Amino acid sequence: MRFLHPVIVVAISIGAAALAAVIGNDYYLRIAFMMCVYYLCAAGMNVLVGYAGQKSLGQAGLFAAGAYGAALLSTSFDLNAWVALVAAAAIAGLCGVLIAWPSLRVRGPYLAMVTLAFGIVVEKLVSEWTEVFGGAQGIYGIKPLELAGVPFANLQWVWFGIALGAITHLLLRNLLSGRFGRAFLSLQADEIAAESVGVSVYRYKILAFVIAAVTCGIAGAMVAQQNQYLNSDFISFQLSIFILLLVLFGGSGSLYGPLIGAISLTLIDALLARWPAVQHFAYGGLLLFALYAMPNGVAGLFSRFFTKRSVIEPVPATQKQPTTAPIQRNEDRSRPLLDVTSVSKNFGGVRPANDVTFRLQHGHVHALIGPNGAGKSTMINMISGVLTPSSGRIAFLGSEIGGLESHGICRRGIGRTFQNLRLFAGLSVLENVLLGQHCRMKNGFWVSLLALPQARREEAAANARATAILDTLGLRELAQAPAGSLPYGLQRRVELARALATEPQLLLLDEPAAGLNPQETAELGKLIVAISKLGVTILMVEHHMDLVMSISDHVIVLDYGIKIAEGAPSVVQCDKRVIEAYLGAEAA
Amino acid sequence: MLIALLQAVASGLAVGGAYALIALGFSITFTTTKTLNFSHGDFVSVGSFIGVTVLWLVLGKPINAPLVGVTLSIWQQLLAAVVTVVVVGLIGVMLYFLAVKPFSGKPGMSWVMSTIGFGIILTSIGLAIWGPSQIVVPSPVGDDVIRIAGVGIRPQEILMFVVAIVVMAALDWVMQRTIMGKAMRAVAHDQRVASLMGINVTAVMVGAFFLSSALAGLSGFLIAPIASASLYVGLSIALKGFSGAIIGGLSNPRGCVLGGFALGLLESLVNLWQAQWREIVVFLLVILVLAVRPHGLLGLRTVEKV
Repeated sequence: MRFLHPVIVVAISIGAAALAAVIGNDYYLRIAFMMCVYYLCAAGMNVLVGYAGQKSLGQAGLFAAGAYGAALLSTSFDLNAWVALVAAAAIAGLCGVLIAWPSLRVRGPYLAMVTLAFGIVVEKLVSEWTEVFGGAQGIYGIKPLELAGVPFANLQWVWFGIALGAITHLLLRNLLSGRFGRAFLSLQADEIAAESVGVSVYRYKILAFVIAAVTCGIAGAMVAQQNQYLNSDFISFQLSIFILLLVLFGGSGSLYGPLIGAISLTLIDALLARWPAVQHFAYGGLLLFALYAMPNGVAGLFSRFFTKRSVIEPVPATQKQPTTAPIQRNEDRSRPLLDVTSVSKNFGGVRPANDVTFRLQHGHVHALIGPNGAGKSTMINMISGVLTPSSGRIAFLGSEIGGLESHGICRRGIGRTFQNLRLFAGLSVLENVLLGQHCRMKNGFWVSLLALPQARREEAAANARATAILDTLGLRELAQAPAGSLPYGLQRRVELARALATEPQLLLLDEPAAGLNPQETAELGKLIVAISKLGVTILMVEHHMDLVMSISDHVIVLDYGIKIAEGAPSVVQCDKRVIEAYLGAEAA
Repeated sequence: MLIALLQAVASGLAVGGAYALIALGFSITFTTTKTLNFSHGDFVSVGSFIGVTVLWLVLGKPINAPLVGVTLSIWQQLLAAVVTVVVVGLIGVMLYFLAVKPFSGKPGMSWVMSTIGFGIILTSIGLAIWGPSQIVVPSPVGDDVIRIAGVGIRPQEILMFVVAIVVMAALDWVMQRTIMGKAMRAVAHDQRVASLMGINVTAVMVGAFFLSSALAGLSGFLIAPIASASLYVGLSIALKGFSGAIIGGLSNPRGCVLGGFALGLLESLVNLWQAQWREIVVFLLVILVLAVRPHGLLGLRTVEKV
């Protein structure tokens, strides 16, 4: 079964190649070639737009990097065309890093502006710097690809395009169907949550930009080599828009969307080429209305007919006891698990943490309580790397983690949930939990891209673990439901499952019982105790005092960023300052 | 040398006025609806042509008739300005309902594409009516260059600058002092809460798009006598206005205005040195500013609560 898909792809490719051979008409071959070129652009762009959720309006700049790279290498440096093609892909990839770098810091419309500006800079550069890029005059005599000394004819170009397209499809499918695809999707859904499960937002954003850049660069290089001529008219803002439209019209986030987009839009382009005014108008209409009528593109339209809506099962009544130990490491249990030493945090004049010191012991359930605004969530955020402490030390298993990035902290063994749920709402429950396994999976980029045995093994193991965790939390039946569609209480449980899947030694729960009814709260209490019995240390922020007092071994009380008491629940309950903080001084 | 520098500063401030108006337009829609009109440039160029068309109509001349040497009364010019502002504003309202409202508030920024699509359609219609050629437009305040301390300034440049300053000061007053301005700022802050306070959120958003587009129309009308009316110049003008807004910080209207002027000056000064590197330098600067200050130089940093 595993080879069914590749076999079908190869069969279709051979069919398309044979069809091209039968047609033989240069005009049609040219259209077929452009379909392949645009497919390449769209396939990479889909990773960036559809999976990682980053809009780029400057893709023409990367197309140009590939096209001019190949052109100049073969004319000025007299490089072999095949070498030039590979080098062009590398140059475009480097430009991808260049454009990704500012994009790491900016979002939304600012990101659109950065990519747009990049596209414009490249466009102006190739049209104004005529000494190097030839401007509107262009570069002549670009070497075409050749085999055994014979340059490619139109038919060979189409064959080459089809082969490259098929390979790109298969490789991207390998990559996107597993760990990397989920990580990209998590970026799109929620960057902070992605970091919290160990996905490095930086790395994956850059990777998505580079993938889009490389395929676009190859496409550009192919166009330059096939035409054997290139001028600045090829590179325009319209091209950037067209590449984005290919993905959005075809269906972003779908593996087949780019193919549909490339074929249909190239056809429309060719059909309307005789009437430029109509062509222009049609593009405007497509941009304006296509997304309105088909938010998920043509591919989304199809899949609506073919997939049945999954029905959400009723809440399972009973929970089994946890059976799988999330993680067992042989650590030195004599040392404290987490050592927070005089940690402070300033936001301007506000100090939600002021010289706070406490220790967490292995296997205990610790609670962090205090009135609203006491700095509890700030403390959780500092421990999990969302915030950086202004001063002080946070040591986990003896090593400093204050100021590390969230994904690194997750990898070291600290999992967390959020006060206001941060699930990947569009992904299924199972995918959410699998993302928790992200940082424990060892298959790297190349292994995943080529679908080597290690990638399959890791994927199967992660699946087994995720399913076991779902089983434990009574979510098995809901595995395929979109996480965002579940009722609130279940979403809380899915988030807990996701945090457990990161195999934490320390689990941070930020108000796990918020919004739960008394019965659900009691169930949660049992669950937390069960989890701690497996050797997972717990630090929870909670307002339900009966829950806190009944299950915790140790309570830390904060008020206005200052630790005012700590100790066993019974001791803290009687502490004068704690009563004052909660009820006011007079009442005490 | 000094004269050339002053000359560059003068024309930079004039064109900066146009950028500032456009930047302000971006800021208005962004703060109220969290969306931007990516076809703002087409609104600018269409604005120029609507102004010219009104002139043709009042003069009883056919479309595309040359306007060089024609004398126009101040009332005719004023009429053209008002019609331009209102018509482009109404096109902006149309844009809101067709391209923005269906997508605003939804993830995925589909409005980027839909507003670009709207702009392409608008330009196509414009090309069908006015054709692709450039039209030289006479200035309402005359075309005789004024010499101040050896620096030649066109009256239109002074007009551009003065109108931009006046309009922006007036808008600033409206936003800060009137109940309408407060309603707009309330919607910008939080739509749900604003609507709970009895503010008609849709009306405010429609108003925002009307205002923003009207400003684009006004800057198109004012810049036409300087740069001549063309359907192709809009994109580059609007991109620079956008850059000005981004540098200043989209969320800060005053910052946007400053950003617009700063960009005009910068462009003009780079022009002094190397004309063809003008745009490259400007956009590289934008990328650099954003890489260092992701919310612009004067924009508010939004901290997401976790």
